[in-house]
Amino acid sequence: MTSLQTMRLVAGREFRERGRSRAYLVSSAVTLLIILAMIVVPAVLRSQGRTFTVGILGSGNEPILAAAEALTAADEFPTTLRRVAFEARDEAVAALEAGEVDAVLVDGRELVVATAGGFGGSDLERLLQQAAGTRRIQDLLAGDEAAADVVEILTSDALEVVPLRGERGREVGQRGVIAYGGLVLMYIAILSYGTWMLTGVTEEKSNRVVEVLLATTKPWQLLAGKMIGIGLLGILQFVGTVVAAVVALRVTELFDLPAIPVDLLVAMVAWFLLGYAVYSAAYGAAGSLVSRAEDAQTAAFPMTLVAIAGFFASFRALDDPSSTTAVVLSFVPPVAPFVVPVRVAFGAIPAWEHALAAGVTVVFLALLVRLAGRVYSGALLHQGGRISFRDAFRSAEV
Amino acid sequence: MLVLDGLEKTYGEVRALDGCAFAVERGRMLGFLGPNGAGKTTTMRAIFGLVRLDAGSVTWDGRPVTDAERLRFGYMPEARGLYPKMKARDQLVYLGMLHGLTRSDARRAADRWLETLGVGERAEDPVEELSHGNQQRVQLAASLVHDPELLVLDEPFSGLDPLGVETMAEVLRAQADAGTAVVFSSHQLDLVEDLCEDVAIIDRGRIVLAGNVRELKDASRYRRLELELEDGGEFLRRLTGVVAHEVDGDRHRLLVDKDTDVRELLAAASSTARIREFAYTTPSLNDLFREAVTR
Repeated sequence: MTSLQTMRLVAGREFRERGRSRAYLVSSAVTLLIILAMIVVPAVLRSQGRTFTVGILGSGNEPILAAAEALTAADEFPTTLRRVAFEARDEAVAALEAGEVDAVLVDGRELVVATAGGFGGSDLERLLQQAAGTRRIQDLLAGDEAAADVVEILTSDALEVVPLRGERGREVGQRGVIAYGGLVLMYIAILSYGTWMLTGVTEEKSNRVVEVLLATTKPWQLLAGKMIGIGLLGILQFVGTVVAAVVALRVTELFDLPAIPVDLLVAMVAWFLLGYAVYSAAYGAAGSLVSRAEDAQTAAFPMTLVAIAGFFASFRALDDPSSTTAVVLSFVPPVAPFVVPVRVAFGAIPAWEHALAAGVTVVFLALLVRLAGRVYSGALLHQGGRISFRDAFRSAEV
Repeated sequence: MLVLDGLEKTYGEVRALDGCAFAVERGRMLGFLGPNGAGKTTTMRAIFGLVRLDAGSVTWDGRPVTDAERLRFGYMPEARGLYPKMKARDQLVYLGMLHGLTRSDARRAADRWLETLGVGERAEDPVEELSHGNQQRVQLAASLVHDPELLVLDEPFSGLDPLGVETMAEVLRAQADAGTAVVFSSHQLDLVEDLCEDVAIIDRGRIVLAGNVRELKDASRYRRLELELEDGGEFLRRLTGVVAHEVDGDRHRLLVDKDTDVRELLAAASSTARIREFAYTTPSLNDLFREAVTR
């Protein structure tokens, strides 16, 4: 038996048994349903178009409403503005409170809304503001030849920005979407599959099967095999979900899916694997410290904290992918898998920095696996209660 | 032959093994005895490399035991455990393959052992749905599935009902008869006495008595004497060389010096009392154990 054969057996068992378990099938199905619902429901709602009911009081309102209709006329799905005229302010306010109208336009200068914010009202508010602004500029510059220029200035940037690295404009928006989406997915995936690792190790210890296994396998083979098996299942679920989401987006055309550049895709997959490996090794070691499933999350808390910190730190990279913080965090291995893909997405990381960050993480991973393997072997045969990280490290027997 | 020599292991202040040494031969069964905490489990774990020894060696057929040898060993740890949600058969196939069997060989062996141990009908059930006794059978099958040359079992009889004990004893006996070296620990001394050719008794990390059960009994300094007398028994008090004397009504159980003259004793007994029963035997394993492990 070579180590490879042993790891393949361990990984195979993990893949088959966990893959067949109700927990895996249900979690996969639920994830898929949630993702599809998030795409399909808004798409269906949008395809039916939107209708706002606007209360009208006094004069000077119609030009604004007409301008609003003109603004949305080019949209794929129609926005309809229903008008309800009122004689007195009291009546209009009462209708607004009763929800019969979405907002009340007064004399073309005032918009009365039910509450200060809220998602429902704000779309209408934004539309009417834009329409009123357009109206006013047209009135102001009526007949002037400069009118077109004024509108042009107001709707575009006055200075042309020339970046040394990365691209701007529409491209940036798309890359931002990819970076943000990738980041969130990566965070969720690493934490979920790390948790499988955590509970899987604790289970083996609590049902005491581990001593039989250790009589023929080395702890690091067991750890590595488990990481591979769970990783494969995780990737399967992950890829399945992403493919379903992409297909649903294409079919519903909810929004234009940016084409993901191949280099970015490769970088994202590679960093996902690195991130998963780092966290699953750490979670595996944490899981070996305790004997009961209830204690597993507590033992893993430090790792979870690091993952959360890494996740939030990478928002800094989203804001400014070239900032000092982002550069420094690229070389902090547990955080790098979150930060580096974001910087890659914006084209804000030089190749040498990217290679160095990957190198640092790989070296860290190699050390971590050895450390985790040692803790794992020291802790596995310790039954009952929790063993400290230090004791586990010291009492490593095999 | 498995040879343990000069095993030493210290956990902090506790000296778990202190020169432990004994041998297990192929085709024989050795009962590994000792009070709780004497070092039995540590010794067994050392055979599988689960304990890093401070000193001493474990050899199989004269060569140091390595991972390759351990694939041909079978182990049933004291802390029993299987994957609860995995089917009994799949579990055995997996463990068989970890020991180097091909998938088809592992399947055949798993089916054969499940059948032999009377759990063939439950092969496709998850282990957690099996009764306690049947789980124990699957656990035994797990240590046997790869036809090991050496079988090491930590307390295999604990928690078994009388039928389970019988099955376990038969299987172990058959394994030893087929040429396997079998060693198991136990607190059930009468069982070990019936089943094993050899014993090793460990106390505070050292082997205090080891060898062939029959020879150890013969070599003992004591003999067991059991008498049932109609009346009297006074004369027994005058007997020299009595190590222990228990009286239960008319029944007397004595442990006497090996050199005690039995004919003289019989003469004395028959002149003062009527003898209903008389037995003069070598000491039991229990006697040997108590003598070896004096606290």
